[in-house]
Amino acid sequence: MGLTNTPSDLLPGTLELLILKTLVSGATHGYGIVEHLRQASDDVLRVGESALYPALQRLLLNGWVKAEWGTSENNRRARYYTLTAAGRKQLAAERAEFDRMVGVIQRVLGTT
Amino acid sequence: MNRFLRGLLHLLRRSRHDADLREEIETHRALRQAALERDGLDSGDAAWASQRAMGNVTLAVEEVRDVWVSRAVDQLWQDIRIAVRGLSKNPVFTLVAIATLALGIGANTALFSIFNGLILRPLPVRDPSRLALLTDGGWSYPVWAEIRARENDLFDGAFAWSGERFDLSRGGQSAFVDGAYVSGRFFEVLGVSAVRGRMLTPADDGVGAMDGSVAVISHRFWREHFAGADDVVGRRVTLQRRAFTIIGVMPPGFFGVDVGRMTDVMLPFAAEPRIRGQESLLAAVDSAWLDMMVRLKPGQSLEQANAALRGVQPQIRAATVSGVVGARAARYLTNPLTLAAATTGRSSLRTQFETPLFAMVVAVGLLLLVACTNIASLLVARALARRRELSVRMALGGSRGRLARLLFTESLIVAMAGAALGLVFASWSGALLVRQLTTWESNVSLELVLDWRVLGFTAALACASAIVAGVAPVLGLQSVAAGEALKDAGRGLAGDRRFAVRGTLAVAQIAVSLILVTAAGLFLRSFASLNQLPLGFVPEPLLVAELQSSDAPIEQRGPRAERLRAAAAAVPGVRSASLSRVPLLTGGGWGANRIAIDDGPMPVEDRSDQRLWRNATTPGWFETMGTPLVNGRDFTDGDRVGAPLVAIVNQAFVRRYRLGQQPIGRTVRIGLSNGERRYEIVGLVGDSVYTSTRDGMMATMYEPLAQIDPEDFRETVVLTINAAHGQRAAVERDVAAALARTEPTVAFTVRTFDQFIDATVTQERLIAMLSSFFGGLALLLAGIGLYGIVAQAVRTRQGEIGLRMALGAQPAGIVRLVLRRVGVLIVVGLALGLAGSLWAAQFVGPLLFQVEARDPATFVGAAGVLVAGGVLAAWLPARRAARLDPAAVLREG
Repeated sequence: MGLTNTPSDLLPGTLELLILKTLVSGATHGYGIVEHLRQASDDVLRVGESALYPALQRLLLNGWVKAEWGTSENNRRARYYTLTAAGRKQLAAERAEFDRMVGVIQRVLGTT
Repeated sequence: MNRFLRGLLHLLRRSRHDADLREEIETHRALRQAALERDGLDSGDAAWASQRAMGNVTLAVEEVRDVWVSRAVDQLWQDIRIAVRGLSKNPVFTLVAIATLALGIGANTALFSIFNGLILRPLPVRDPSRLALLTDGGWSYPVWAEIRARENDLFDGAFAWSGERFDLSRGGQSAFVDGAYVSGRFFEVLGVSAVRGRMLTPADDGVGAMDGSVAVISHRFWREHFAGADDVVGRRVTLQRRAFTIIGVMPPGFFGVDVGRMTDVMLPFAAEPRIRGQESLLAAVDSAWLDMMVRLKPGQSLEQANAALRGVQPQIRAATVSGVVGARAARYLTNPLTLAAATTGRSSLRTQFETPLFAMVVAVGLLLLVACTNIASLLVARALARRRELSVRMALGGSRGRLARLLFTESLIVAMAGAALGLVFASWSGALLVRQLTTWESNVSLELVLDWRVLGFTAALACASAIVAGVAPVLGLQSVAAGEALKDAGRGLAGDRRFAVRGTLAVAQIAVSLILVTAAGLFLRSFASLNQLPLGFVPEPLLVAELQSSDAPIEQRGPRAERLRAAAAAVPGVRSASLSRVPLLTGGGWGANRIAIDDGPMPVEDRSDQRLWRNATTPGWFETMGTPLVNGRDFTDGDRVGAPLVAIVNQAFVRRYRLGQQPIGRTVRIGLSNGERRYEIVGLVGDSVYTSTRDGMMATMYEPLAQIDPEDFRETVVLTINAAHGQRAAVERDVAAALARTEPTVAFTVRTFDQFIDATVTQERLIAMLSSFFGGLALLLAGIGLYGIVAQAVRTRQGEIGLRMALGAQPAGIVRLVLRRVGVLIVVGLALGLAGSLWAAQFVGPLLFQVEARDPATFVGAAGVLVAGGVLAAWLPARRAARLDPAAVLREG
């Protein structure tokens, strides 16, 4: 799989789910999220900026994450995203939904 | 909701957010570049690679923006900007459209605000929905005393009031103020408290309370007569020649409970005997002069309240029946007492103006329709003129829906601007209209408030106008194809289908205008026929002075009136001056219910509208009035108390009671509660009007004023003065001075018959005025619409016309060519309008006087006016076409 710049390569909402999961281990900036996703997926998931930032803004709009300006490793101003309580709840819910969805898809694929 | 707020905040700080995002993404890129450099790329390659990996940043920023603010809102904002730019590029069109709509919406809002003030608005008191009115008109004070004794058992309080006019002057000409007698708990039950001092309390109204000489004044009266002075409490105000102490000021906006009447001064009922003296009505069981309202208990329904009231009705009726006699007593005892909801107060104007107001609301709605059609037509023309632009926009990828929205936004903006201006126009014209309702006998005062009902109505009108005006150009858009106009360089051909929309609009406009013009014609004719009614006397030289002698003992009133009459007769320029008991043209008078001729049987009671009217006059009254004496003699000084009773009758009387050729010498018997009185007819006079001009000639019997029992002498007597030709104004001034000199304490008013007649036709005058205004405006708008269509058609067909002329067509032929097209529109419009008018006539009928609702002359006249207007509107551009220089046109084309 190449560069994911359109979320349509994933199941709808999956990118948000992955971002929320990434933020469970602590606050990080956009590049940190992309890198974490890349490493955790063994280089399979490469998320482009034009997909990442709209997704982050959607999470902000819904109040699932909050953002604070901080300083990055290379001494630049960077926005650090933190999971909110509502975000944690949302993660649990979406995770359950995702599991159900995957199960359904596998069942469909399993029946020939 | 939170989401929405966050989105809104974002919109406000949009450029800041965009900059933040760009910075964030740049940081992202720099981090990636650093990582690539760590992997061994040199910094130039790393910068390039990181840039490439990033993708389209602008797109990302745009998408982020979409997350926060939906694309629709953004586009709406854009639409508004483009529309405003487009409208301001064509200021004449914009101003005409906005002014047209402002007139249309303003006129609608003005009428609606009157409708609202008169019919819809609740009283400005505490919890008005719990108020109920004891219906069927007036009640006597003893009935109120019975209700008051039970007010807390049956209801949550009750109050009574009686509207009166009080004279503020200390002497000479009267200056009237609208006031009322009210019961002690009036303000308490209504829940109205004072802004200065205190309101009336039951202590002020105790029968025989020595403190009966107190008054409460309205906020307006306080402002106008006391300049809003803080020390107003404790000051004096003169009412009916007596001093009253002001104890408080009512809150602003409170006018009493009579809608349409500003009650400026309120006195307790205890003050009534002080003003009326021996003629006080407080003890009278047969005088119906009060209105009563009750406040329902919380949770008490109107039905429960009615049931409670009917439960005690026998006691109330029985306690107040003494003095009421015969058949009337039986009716009085059984007629059920009924309460009706009174959330919106009470108003005598409502019944009078409900129908005409409704008719005018319909007319003004039609007018707005014409205005909208005009704007639609203008917008279509604009859309056609902009075909090129629209076509290009479409070719560049603008969707049809988006373009439609753009066009619609334009009409919406015009509608909103029109509505805003219309509100200004409405508040001005509404007040003007209300002023038209005031006559000598009733001072109409209606506060027009821009409350949520009026504003909502206006907003709804604006939206409806935008839809009506905006749909046609959007429909016309369907004929625009992408890039089409680029091919066609604008050489239009004659039978272009694009004009079909505007043609339809013009037909609708002409049809609606015809309906309005026809209605205006009918109302004008009706008003004219009311004004041409015969009176039976000659009003031009006459002045009518009503003399008020309430301050004099009854037995002195007769001699005093005679002294005043003599003083007026001695004024230079006065040809004659006579007294009469009853003023004419006031809608009522002095009548007789039981009458018999010679030895005929005395009827039980005549309650028909055509009852016998009476008047009492001094000798010479008929000559003063200009009413001819047909037969017999006038009264003389010999006809006085003690002499045989005599009467003069008019010809209508002779016809009504079938007296035949020889009425002189016959006997008229008037039935009284204790016997009857017999009069010998000594004279026969010509007919004249009595109650109102529209009621026509009334059977009337005249008696000598000198034969009225002194104790029956009323507190007012009418002095009619016949002034020499051209001197009426001077005589009015001199007579007023002479009266004040003769009797310094007498109160009087001097009026002309024009004022009395005007008051009887207020409604018709208002309708005639409004409908002509609406009709004229509709005609003008239709004319403008037609003019626009023809002008456009001529412009488009310029090439063809030039060619025809080059080939030898005469100018007259060109005019005919253009007019023929318009002629079709006018004829179709007239046909539809005629059908509409014939249908609408049934609703107009009840408002007309002596004019048929389908009066052929009016219909033909209205059609003629429309044809003339339409032809004129079409002829102007047609003539211009005929004057085209064919060579120039063909060279240009």
